Amino acid sequence: MDERFSGFGAFILYTITAGMMLFILAPLLLVMAASVSDSYFVTFPPQGFTLKWYAKVLQDRDFLEAMRLSILLALGTTVGSLLFGVPAAFALVRGHFVGLAAIKGFLLSPLIFPALITGLALLQVLNKLGSTDARLNLLIGHIVVTSPYVIRTVVTSLQLVDENLEDAARTLGASRLRTFWRVTLPQIASGVAAGGLFAFMVSFDNYPVTMWLANSEYSPVPLVLMRQLVNVFDPSVPAMSTIIILMAMVGVLILEKLVGLRRALAA
Amino acid sequence: MTTSDEAVAVLTVEAPPVARERSRWRLALPVGVLAIPMLAFLTYFFFYPALALLFSSIQTQDSRGIIGRPFTLAHYARLVNVELYARVLWTTLRISIITSALATVLAYPVALVMVKSRPMVTRVITLIVIAPLIVSVVVRGYGWQLVLQNGPKGMLNWILMTLHVVDAPISVLYTETAVVIGSLHVFFPMMVLPLASALGKIDPNLEDAARMLGAPWWKVFLRVTLPLSMPGFVAGFTLVFSLTAGSFVIPAILGGASAVMLGNLIEQQIFVVYDWPFGAAIAVVLVGLVLAVNGVSMWLLEGRRLRRPD
Repeated sequence: MDERFSGFGAFILYTITAGMMLFILAPLLLVMAASVSDSYFVTFPPQGFTLKWYAKVLQDRDFLEAMRLSILLALGTTVGSLLFGVPAAFALVRGHFVGLAAIKGFLLSPLIFPALITGLALLQVLNKLGSTDARLNLLIGHIVVTSPYVIRTVVTSLQLVDENLEDAARTLGASRLRTFWRVTLPQIASGVAAGGLFAFMVSFDNYPVTMWLANSEYSPVPLVLMRQLVNVFDPSVPAMSTIIILMAMVGVLILEKLVGLRRALAA
Repeated sequence: MTTSDEAVAVLTVEAPPVARERSRWRLALPVGVLAIPMLAFLTYFFFYPALALLFSSIQTQDSRGIIGRPFTLAHYARLVNVELYARVLWTTLRISIITSALATVLAYPVALVMVKSRPMVTRVITLIVIAPLIVSVVVRGYGWQLVLQNGPKGMLNWILMTLHVVDAPISVLYTETAVVIGSLHVFFPMMVLPLASALGKIDPNLEDAARMLGAPWWKVFLRVTLPLSMPGFVAGFTLVFSLTAGSFVIPAILGGASAVMLGNLIEQQIFVVYDWPFGAAIAVVLVGLVLAVNGVSMWLLEGRRLRRPD
C-alpha cells in the first residue's frame, strides 16, 4: 500500500471506489442472473435456474436475422473505416501542409457532434438523394461515427514509429510502398487492429445513428432489443442482453491484449 | 498495463530533430493526398448533412410535407415559448448538469485510487471502469430497469426493505432520478479516464512537500491535487455533459413520460409528428448547447487559463 494513502482520507477514498465498482457491475450482473432465472417476470432475488430463455433466443428468427445483419454491418464498417482512416491518419502524422490542425479537427469532429444528430442529418440528405437501401445507408452512417476512433488509435501508434527504420529501408533501396508494407505497417499493426476492433464494437452497439437509418426490414441488434424491451416485454431479453455482454467482454479482453485499454480509450 | 505504459513512455521520447527534418522533406508532397478520401467522405456525409439540417430548421413545411420558403425563426421561438417544449429543454439541461456534477464528485476518489494504488489494484479498477463502456447502452439501460424496478420485487427496493431503510417500496423508475443514475453509469468512464490521466501527471513531490509542511490530507487535496487536476476535470465534465445532453436511449428506457429529453423530443417530432423543420430546430439547439460547452472547455484548456497565477 502506498504510504500517501492512510487514515481517514484513505478510508473515504476506498469506500467510494468500492461503492462505484458495485454501482458499475450491479446492473450487468443482475441482467446475467435474470437470464438464467426461471420466472417469466424478473424478480429479486432471482428464482430457480434454467437455460430455456437461451434456447428460445437461439430459435428466434428476428434476433438471429438481426445478429447476422449487425455482424455484417460491423464488418463492413470496420473495413470501410480502416480503408478511409488509416491513410488519413498517415497523412496527419507525416504530412506537413497548411491547415493540418484544422483538418485533424475536422476529421475527429464526429466524436464531439451528438451522434443522434449525425444520424438525423444523414437521414435527411440520404432521403433527398433517394437512397432507399437501408443497408447502404447504415454502412455510411456507421463509417462516419467510427472513422474518428480508427484515426485516433492509428495516429497514436504512428507517432511511436521509429522513422529511422524507414529511412534505413529507403536508403537500402526499398520503394515507398514496400517500406510502408514491410517496415511501418508491422510497427503500427496493433494500433490498426485496435482501431478496427473499436470500429467493430462501436458499430455493433450503435443506437443513435442506427435508429434513424434502419427500417423494419433491416433492423440491427440494438434496435430489436430496444423494441422487445419497450414495446413488447419478452422474457428472452435478459438472455439476448447476456449474449451481448459476453461478446463485449471478449472484445475488451482482445483490446487489452492488443494495446492496453486505457491507452486505446484515452488516446 | 503498467509495463506497457512504461514502454509507451519510453517510446514517446521525441526522435532526434535531424531525423525528423529529413523525413519531413522526403514526404512533404504525396502524403497529404492520403487524407483526401476521408475528407471527401466526411464532407459529403457529415459536414454537408449537418449544414442541410441547419438550413431546414429555418424553412417551412407545407401541408404536403414539402420543405421550402419562406424562411422563419418560428421553430426556435416555439421551442422556447411553448411550455411543454421549454420544459424538455430545462429537463435536459438539469439532467446533464446534475449527472456531470455527480460524476465529478464520484470520479475523483476512483481516479485517485486508480492512479496511486499498486499495479494489480489499478488494473482491476481500470477493467471494471472501462469494460461496461463497450456493452450496448440498451443493455445497460435494461440492467438499471431491473435494478430500479418499482414494487417490492425490484433489486433496490428488496435491499432497502430487507435492511429496513424503507417500509414500503419506493418508485425510482420512470423519474428524472432514474435517468441521472443510468446516465451516470453510462458516462462515468468518460470522467474517470481524463481525471486519472491528469492526476497521473501531477508531480508527487508537490503533494509530499505540502504534507511535510504539515498540511492535512484534505488540505493537500484542495490546495495541490485539485487545482493541478483541473484540465482532467474540464475535459471530463465537458464529455459527460455533452454525451448526457445528446442521449436518447437512457431517457427512453428509464425516464418514461416523466423525463423526456431533447433527443426523445426530436425523435418524436420526426418519426411521429413528421415535423421536419421543428425537429431540425431542436437538433440545432442541442448541437449549439454541446458546441458551446465544448468551446468554453477548449478556451479554458488551450489558453492555459486553468493555471493559477501564484
